[in-house]
Amino acid sequence: MAERLLEVTDLSTHFFTYAGEVKAVDGVSFTLDRDETLGIVGESGSGKTVTAMSVMRLIPDPPGRIVGGTIVHKGRDLLAVSKEEMSDIRGNDVAMIFQDPMTSLNPVFKIGDQIAEVIRRHQGKSKRESWKMAVDLLAKVGIPDPEERVNQYPFEYSGGMRQRAMIAMAISCNPDILIADEPTTALDVTIQAQIMDVIREMQAQYHSGVIMITHDLGVVAQMADKVMVMYGGRTLEDGPVDEVYYNAHHPYTWGLLGSLPRLDETEKQRLTPIEGQPPNLLLLPAGCPFSGRCLYEMPVCAGEFPALEMVEPGHGVHCWIPVAEREKIRAGLPQFVHRVPS
Amino acid sequence: MYGYIARRLVQLVFVLIGVSIITFLIMFLIPGNPAYLLAGKNATPQRVAEISVELGLNKPIYVQYGRFVDRLVHGNFGESYQFERPVRQMLQSAIPNTAQLAVAAVLIELLGIPLGIYSALRQYTIWDSTLTTTALIIWGIPVFVLAVFMQYVFGVYLGILPFYGTGGSTFLWVIPADWNNLSHLILPAVTLGIIEVAYISYMQRASMLEVIRSDYVRTARAKGLPERSVILKHSLKNAVIPVLTIAGIDLGALMGGAILTETVFSRYGVGLMVYNAINARDLPVVVGGVLFATFVYVIANLVVDLAYAYIDPRIRYE
Amino acid sequence: MTDTESAASFAEPQLDSPLPVGSENEPVSAKPLGLWADTWRRLRRNKLALVGLGIIIVFLVIGVAQIIAGVTGIHGGYLAPYNPNAVNYTIAKAPPSLAHPFGTDYIGRDVFSRVLVASRISLLVGVIAVSIALALGLALGPLSGYYGGAIDSVIMRVADVFFAFPYILFVLLLVVVLGPGFRNVFIAIGLLSWASYARLVRGTVLSIKTQEYVEAAKAAGASDLRIVFGHVLPNSMAPVYVAIAMGIGGAIVTEAALSFLGIGVQPPTASWGNMISDYLNYLQAGQWWMELFPCLALVITVFGFISFGNGLRDATDPKLKE
Repeated sequence: MAERLLEVTDLSTHFFTYAGEVKAVDGVSFTLDRDETLGIVGESGSGKTVTAMSVMRLIPDPPGRIVGGTIVHKGRDLLAVSKEEMSDIRGNDVAMIFQDPMTSLNPVFKIGDQIAEVIRRHQGKSKRESWKMAVDLLAKVGIPDPEERVNQYPFEYSGGMRQRAMIAMAISCNPDILIADEPTTALDVTIQAQIMDVIREMQAQYHSGVIMITHDLGVVAQMADKVMVMYGGRTLEDGPVDEVYYNAHHPYTWGLLGSLPRLDETEKQRLTPIEGQPPNLLLLPAGCPFSGRCLYEMPVCAGEFPALEMVEPGHGVHCWIPVAEREKIRAGLPQFVHRVPS
Repeated sequence: MYGYIARRLVQLVFVLIGVSIITFLIMFLIPGNPAYLLAGKNATPQRVAEISVELGLNKPIYVQYGRFVDRLVHGNFGESYQFERPVRQMLQSAIPNTAQLAVAAVLIELLGIPLGIYSALRQYTIWDSTLTTTALIIWGIPVFVLAVFMQYVFGVYLGILPFYGTGGSTFLWVIPADWNNLSHLILPAVTLGIIEVAYISYMQRASMLEVIRSDYVRTARAKGLPERSVILKHSLKNAVIPVLTIAGIDLGALMGGAILTETVFSRYGVGLMVYNAINARDLPVVVGGVLFATFVYVIANLVVDLAYAYIDPRIRYE
Repeated sequence: MTDTESAASFAEPQLDSPLPVGSENEPVSAKPLGLWADTWRRLRRNKLALVGLGIIIVFLVIGVAQIIAGVTGIHGGYLAPYNPNAVNYTIAKAPPSLAHPFGTDYIGRDVFSRVLVASRISLLVGVIAVSIALALGLALGPLSGYYGGAIDSVIMRVADVFFAFPYILFVLLLVVVLGPGFRNVFIAIGLLSWASYARLVRGTVLSIKTQEYVEAAKAAGASDLRIVFGHVLPNSMAPVYVAIAMGIGGAIVTEAALSFLGIGVQPPTASWGNMISDYLNYLQAGQWWMELFPCLALVITVFGFISFGNGLRDATDPKLKE
């Protein structure tokens, strides 16, 4: 049994805006073990980034606040520790890579400074030692001429290189948990695979648990061991990747999979988009957030959120449709075909 | 860095050429004979004729412009018809006082930076709303109105500071050497400076708010850096950069403000000199004063830009 | 500021709606608001900006009424309790009273009437000067931004020069050369302040012209000019509206300053600036009312424009949207 790194239970993060209370994350639970990768998928506004930011305790307050739940890391509830303790944990035990490498690095400091700073902060190394470690880290994440490049500023790096530098910074203190928030969305397609490779290599080397936040099911198939599907601040379905892909039980997951391009049918393939609009977080129904957009909606759906139902060991779903009914519907849908993990 | 300085210097030359063209156009393309304007309203026909020849008014326009530039380059701003003295001499005697006022006002102006940052860090508190509202109100007060107010309250009503004139002596032209000199400086400098403080603190607040919400500050927090380091190291430098530029551009308003402030406080300097010349329609003195202030402004902006490049690597390495 | 993920779709196109999706802490409303409704919603939360807007409205109403009276000659050409220029030595230097709420000046003119009537000078200068500058800016800015190349270089280098000298001093110089007077004041302000409008419009045109709807209009065969005025311009105006509000406030101050220096609006025509200059000596003699009220009128009006302008900028600045 692998070491349990993170256990999030019933996490709720709300934003208190002028327009009203936004339940950006509402009762989300998941776990992460050592060497494991969890993929969190969802559209914009599904709450996946807020979930990650909550684990880091980086929710801007005001307007946001974590209103409930626990985030247990190695026996310690991160929501109960002091601000000072939390800043000892951030960057050290839990590190994060952000979506946009163009804006996530400070433009007025050298890359080396920005990496060495973390090492000095958490490992108490000297200036010279930490600088040398920064050079090594840059080499590790595949920056050519690290001795030179360490002295450069972010604007002298390409987008892909900046993201590599961000990864170097994140792994510099050998974190237990590495959170990657859409690390490749802002990058060219050709660079995306390289960055994913770097993340995988680093994980293999440091044995971190990785939380990969993405809207791309292909990325999840490649990278993740298990997946959590979020929508409107709620978890709708989660489980091992193969299980969720081949045995999906939630209509929203069907929709996601239906919008994936198929590799085997080269001609005349049609992507099936999910009908309707992404949810308005201010006007979410009390029940399932997908109701209103769901093709199989029943009167009960909008009123109450369904409890967790385990369809297989480790594979849970929140849906009011009876399981037999779900299997019948699914049998009538076109067969899903998946990108084979490369 | 050197490339940047070189380009900035080339730009400076173009700006100076542009300024000379605009000044030339203003003075020489006005209907009527500019010689009359330059000679003053009570000039003799001989004097007008003399000036016409000196300006080359019978020559093609590019020759006139050439002569105009030639005179400027040699620091020849003509002669005040009112005092029958070279404008250059008058400027030389007036500059130290104005320089003292401007330097003092700029030093006061810099207070706006910490005030703005403090305000941004305390957003949504009573401090922030009080500072912001006060800044906005003061920013909207025309400098001469504030001058009138300061003069009345502190000079006339409370009677604690002299409210007109100049006095005492200075050390190194601008540093007050005695109380007499300093006391005459306080009201005009505070008047001129406080409006800039309001403006700069407002801008600094906006810039700081933007920076503390930026992705790279979020990254700094995600690295576990203590809040002090997030603010002092990762935010401050980025937040001050745009304000420096604004402060440079705003020196123009400060120059204009100096004229009005010196006028209200009857403080001898380039501004009062220009004011007196305006009322006497002594055009060479007005032009001399304006060009001098423009020159100072352009040079000061060059200095600001170089400081900017020193702080911001993106510009330094461009 | 947290969830800034792009509105890209999951796998390939069109999973997400084509409408922009709000970030998690600024969600989209039930019905997407129009640009102006959205701006108004933000503006409404900013009390200083609302106070500014109120001041502007009051100022506009008074100013327009004075202009109408002046043009039509109704009530002797002014809308005030007394003729602003009627001299009456018997009541000179009277402090504020019911009959003369702002008191009378050193030759017995009613200060309240003068302050009211002077609003038309400020309004006219503000509007006309900014109109001149804006007309120049709106002609040159889009030209520069849309065509680029040599046209752009020339226009922007000229604008650089206009930015590189202290504008207020050249306004002063130009008015000294043209001669004092109301007309020359707004000509000078207008001619010398076009560059900031041109630069603003150019910048927004540049950022917008590559967007898809312009491509669509081009593809549909719309002529260049129609593209500029029909599509590009209306979309790039938000920062320009801010500049207009600030610019009118600035022009009012500049006029007052010039009049204060004696080269703006000439007495006996009342303007706030020349009143402030005219009554300065009486303040020192303790007759504060003459000086106070024109100062207040000027300060409050300028505050209104700056405050509203700032609020509008914050409300339309996408970077500040939370």
